[in-house]
Amino acid sequence: MPLILTRLAQMLFVLWVVASLLFYMFRLMPGDPTVAYIDSTFTEEQIQELRRTFGLDRPLHEQYLIYLRNLIVGEFGDSFHHRRPVLEILIDVLPNTIILTLSGLLVAYAFGTVVGAWLAWKRGTWVEALTIPTVLTLRAAPEFWLGMVLLAVFAFKLGWFPSGGANSPGATFPSEFSRIISRDFLWHLVLPAATLALYLQGLPLLLMRSNMLDVMGEDFITMARMKGLSSWSIIMRHGARNALLPVVTAFALGFGASVGGNVVVETVFSWPGLGKLLVNSIAASDYPVAQAAFFLITVVLVTMNFVADLIYSLLDPRVSHGRRH
Amino acid sequence: MNVSVKSFAPTLLGIRCGLIAGLALLIALTTLGGGAQAQGEVGDRVRKLVLISGAQAADPQEFQAAQLIAQEWRKLGLEVEVRGMPRPQVSDIVWYNRDKWDVTMWRMVGRPERSDPDELVYNLFHSTTRDKGFNFVGYANPEYDKIAEAQRSEIDQVKRRALVYSAQDMIMADVPYLFLVYPKNVVAYNSGVWKKDTIVDQSGIGIRNFWTFISATPVANQKDMVLNAAEAMNAINPLYISGAIDSWVTDLVWDRLMRVGPDGLPRPWAAESVTYLDAVTVDAKLRTGLIWHDGKPLTAEDVIFSFEAPAGDKSPMYKPFVANIAGIERIDDRTIRFRLKAPNASFFTSTLAKINLIPKHVWEPVLSGQQLQGKTAESYQEQLPVGSGPFKVVRFKLQEEILLERNAAHWSAPKMDRWILRIVTNTEAAIGMLKRGEVNFLSDYRGDPKVLEDLAKADAAIEIAATVDMGFRFVAPNLRRPPFDDVNFRRALMLAINRNLMAQAAWNGYAVPANSHVSAALPFWHKDDAFKPNIEEAKKILEKSGYKVLDGRLHYPDGKRETLSSLN
Repeated sequence: MPLILTRLAQMLFVLWVVASLLFYMFRLMPGDPTVAYIDSTFTEEQIQELRRTFGLDRPLHEQYLIYLRNLIVGEFGDSFHHRRPVLEILIDVLPNTIILTLSGLLVAYAFGTVVGAWLAWKRGTWVEALTIPTVLTLRAAPEFWLGMVLLAVFAFKLGWFPSGGANSPGATFPSEFSRIISRDFLWHLVLPAATLALYLQGLPLLLMRSNMLDVMGEDFITMARMKGLSSWSIIMRHGARNALLPVVTAFALGFGASVGGNVVVETVFSWPGLGKLLVNSIAASDYPVAQAAFFLITVVLVTMNFVADLIYSLLDPRVSHGRRH
Repeated sequence: MNVSVKSFAPTLLGIRCGLIAGLALLIALTTLGGGAQAQGEVGDRVRKLVLISGAQAADPQEFQAAQLIAQEWRKLGLEVEVRGMPRPQVSDIVWYNRDKWDVTMWRMVGRPERSDPDELVYNLFHSTTRDKGFNFVGYANPEYDKIAEAQRSEIDQVKRRALVYSAQDMIMADVPYLFLVYPKNVVAYNSGVWKKDTIVDQSGIGIRNFWTFISATPVANQKDMVLNAAEAMNAINPLYISGAIDSWVTDLVWDRLMRVGPDGLPRPWAAESVTYLDAVTVDAKLRTGLIWHDGKPLTAEDVIFSFEAPAGDKSPMYKPFVANIAGIERIDDRTIRFRLKAPNASFFTSTLAKINLIPKHVWEPVLSGQQLQGKTAESYQEQLPVGSGPFKVVRFKLQEEILLERNAAHWSAPKMDRWILRIVTNTEAAIGMLKRGEVNFLSDYRGDPKVLEDLAKADAAIEIAATVDMGFRFVAPNLRRPPFDDVNFRRALMLAINRNLMAQAAWNGYAVPANSHVSAALPFWHKDDAFKPNIEEAKKILEKSGYKVLDGRLHYPDGKRETLSSLN
């Protein structure tokens, strides 16, 4: 219990630091939210009125205190450009982002762990000589390039998949849930998720492989071999289970990082998600949206980190989090 | 501590002696320099000038143009640095730090209400907008102010045109802007889906316009128009000017008393007729049988409400457009009388063709009730917007798509079934979509026009339309800062810029050379002027005005000191 409490306190501290950094970072950036309105029929009085509406006429420290107070009660304020509560705007795109991230990650990690384990077994063969460079190339290729290649081949050329968006033009669904489970949505999801998976599979695969190589040298594996167990049983039940630990951590952290890091994939596939919203709001100096989006990403990242720690101690009882009795 | 100070004392003394000696030498040198100057009649060397531009990645055309310009100016003996910056940073410096910068690349964008020249003629150069408004270059000329004011209140179009002409002459002579090009808008559509002769080209706007959307007729069974926008929508709100993309939608959903026609001139729309009784009294007579999308009738009270609502403090962005209205009166069921504070030539375009007609039964409770919680009407988003326009909103997601369907009850009902605008952030994908038919009207294209041209050559169904924009690109000098305060210096810089080269090299031919702040896309108002770039002439002007080139660098005329430093 005390362990969880300490960790929670640490999390809160991290969140406070990040929230403060976000607040000052955006305000120190060149550009002013009202700049976006310059090229219109605006008079100076109107610009001043805008600044008042946005609360930008108050001293910085006052803005900061208001911001913190609002954050504590879960109030992110109104977007400067949409003039709507930030939360509403985030909720519009969050399901798309989470589904894209999760499907990309799950495919990447499922593929990565299995193939990684298999490659460890195949060490020194031509299979390894062929696969490792391929994996490394995919891992090193820029995401937008991967995305464009998939688009060019499977959308523009073959026409198997749509060229962008999350649903067909004008498609109507009775509810958000039925939209997400519709064939139309899944059909649109394939290419962006595949791009993400191709990009992400390198880490779990290589991690798994090197862990397996370590584990396979350990005494208990030798013991298992001596017992005459089948290779499959040795790899999966004895080897993989132990080699999996760091991969679990990587998955949790990868999820946190990808939620915000999908900007490229989302832009290439016109996928209406959090990353795109984030980029737009920064370009337009829409502080409330940018702050909230970054904050949300931080919360996910910190939480996933915490979850990874907990899972780790479950999977491997040797990890005792400093308790010594 | 004492000891250490003492031990340092001699050193300090030495430094001080050195300083005094240096200072003396400096004074001697300065005096000598002054002497030399008196003999050679040369001012200080002109400081390094920083030409601000959008970042190369964000606006390659502008950046390329800036490089070409700097190259020419260097031939005059100037040291010029092109500095690309993110757009918000450019705006921040140019707009809010008006005495800091030297010269910047800038643009004015085309909008339907700019088809009346008033906004550009008045706001850009009137001295009242000099400190905080549109006149960011700092131009001040009482003569110009008079003309700008006169054209605003001149109702007679021909007399007014003469005034707009002389305003253009004055700007050509005074060179507060160094004009570059009127860019062309490039969009495309699939003529296998939409009949060619039903696509309307609006002067200065292009084929992506209201008139195309109500008249485009399907060739076959595909009756949905699928369009693209490169960025997300902000809001769908008749009382909020929220962005260019949003305005395509509000145009279609809400009617107005008048509309700017394909010819660029205002024409009656929801009003059957609009008449001037005298210079400050206008009668508008409504069409019969107007109804809102929710089935209720559109009445004279609704119209009066639509013009009175922005006058309060709930719709600050629309407020300026009704500021000239002294009073509105209901004459009968169909006639509304506007009394103006002063005669205003652009009243039709900038007020009657601008203000969205909104249903009183929807907006009055919103504006007077608790829903707004002290905020303006801009923060109110209707779940399902209600207008009276030719299209009805079915549903929308601002980051993703908006779906409109034809309003069969409208007197000018569209020929298509649905109008679907998709947010497509990837330019290449947008082209791919056009090719594959996922999009059949490419309404927002920001890529290389050449690519689109090649696509049209390969596919006979794809039609491209390039239209000269009513916006323009130019170089803006800061008239507050020498040497830009000297009209001869500005004229020389202008002569050094080859506008034809700009249109060809920087804009790939998708632009025409510009000479005035009233675009060639407005043929009624635009004044032509044969302009020939001439670098030799530029050098001569500088020489005649006393500038000298020494060791390849331009110097001010006699006695003129350089008091400013280059932008950091």
